[in-house]
Amino acid sequence: MEKVELKTVIKDWRLHAIAFILVAITEAIGQFSIAVGPGVILLLPMLYAFFLGLGLYFTPLISEKNAKNAEPLIILGVTLLIAKIGVTIGPQIEAIIAAGPALLLQELGNLGTIFLALPLAVLLGFRRESIGMTHSIAREPNVGLIVNKFGFSSPEGRGVMAVYIFGTVFGAVFLGLISGLLATATPLHPLSFAMASGVGSGSMMAAASGSLIGAYPELEEQIVAFAGASNLLSLSTGLYFSIFIGLPLTEKLYSIMMRRSERKAAKGGGPNA
Amino acid sequence: MLKSVIEWTWVLAIFGVAALIGNWFGMDVLPWEAIPGMLVLIAVSLVGLMLEKALPFSMPAVGYIGILAIIISLPWFPGSDYVVAWTSQIGILALATPILAYAGISVGSNWADFRKLGFRSFLVAIAVFLGTFIGSALIAEVILRWQGII
Repeated sequence: MEKVELKTVIKDWRLHAIAFILVAITEAIGQFSIAVGPGVILLLPMLYAFFLGLGLYFTPLISEKNAKNAEPLIILGVTLLIAKIGVTIGPQIEAIIAAGPALLLQELGNLGTIFLALPLAVLLGFRRESIGMTHSIAREPNVGLIVNKFGFSSPEGRGVMAVYIFGTVFGAVFLGLISGLLATATPLHPLSFAMASGVGSGSMMAAASGSLIGAYPELEEQIVAFAGASNLLSLSTGLYFSIFIGLPLTEKLYSIMMRRSERKAAKGGGPNA
Repeated sequence: MLKSVIEWTWVLAIFGVAALIGNWFGMDVLPWEAIPGMLVLIAVSLVGLMLEKALPFSMPAVGYIGILAIIISLPWFPGSDYVVAWTSQIGILALATPILAYAGISVGSNWADFRKLGFRSFLVAIAVFLGTFIGSALIAEVILRWQGII
């Protein structure tokens, strides 16, 4: 990805004017909730803003250049978001320390992706791509790790890029939709989902915890503090977690699954694997 | 360095205006009531960005920014009452909306790459995100209950 000059970004008034108008319109519309079975899907202004922005790309209003210039705004906008989360954590520091054991151990929950997604990937016919796809949620440090170890054009590299792109395009929207739904439809406590929201990406955390706040406004401070603390933890330890636990475990499980399917094929059951 | 700082300040200020507009339309907080809080957030971000450039560690700016923001809002930090009162005028969703507005605009240019991935990758990616999210929530639930926090 080529770097854009910040000076041209600052002077792109068409882009900023459109963004200001998008924000004003979507915030004025406000949030809606749709009941789905026992749960609720929350439609938040940020979701409309995302899809309206995406739609505008296909109109003459936004050019390829405007779209490229939007990137630094996202990166620096996230720094403001992290600062806001930090000043919400400070006053809650005692509650965070009290919840420390849960915060640390829920990082292990990131292994859930391996147990859920790896078998699915293998079942769908992916081979070594599935290692790159499912060893983590494929944020920048994980992409770096895979590319570093296997190379960019390896099957593992293609796999991690696929999930990275999905996450970049839909990650925040997807987590925003399911976090509100799961928190209202399952017996798990909203604060558990708040911790789970800290997946290591500012925008995904904002979307996931934003939906939780929409559904449980009385818990706002605690939700932001728990999600933010968990996100900082994921950001700082996520890479090492992948290096020492996530990736080796994925490779091990993958080779076990492959051996089993080969044995099955040898018995003359399935087609040539 | 000075050139970068000035440019960062401009970009942060533009983003800040977008957030203040959202805060006004969405949460009915008048922009001038939220300006002190926004200035605090911008200052923290700037210091974090400068530390990333100046210090030899390989910590991303958001790492410094998070820690710095926590420290200045701790109850025993001098003046933290003001920091907390001012920044509480800015809703977290008011910051998230402009991020996703710019993200939507920016993603348009990756759209072609995305369509090439195919439906199977889409399914696996959904399982990846669901797995992480539910896995973490389940463990947090068990420990928080066991500790008696929820």
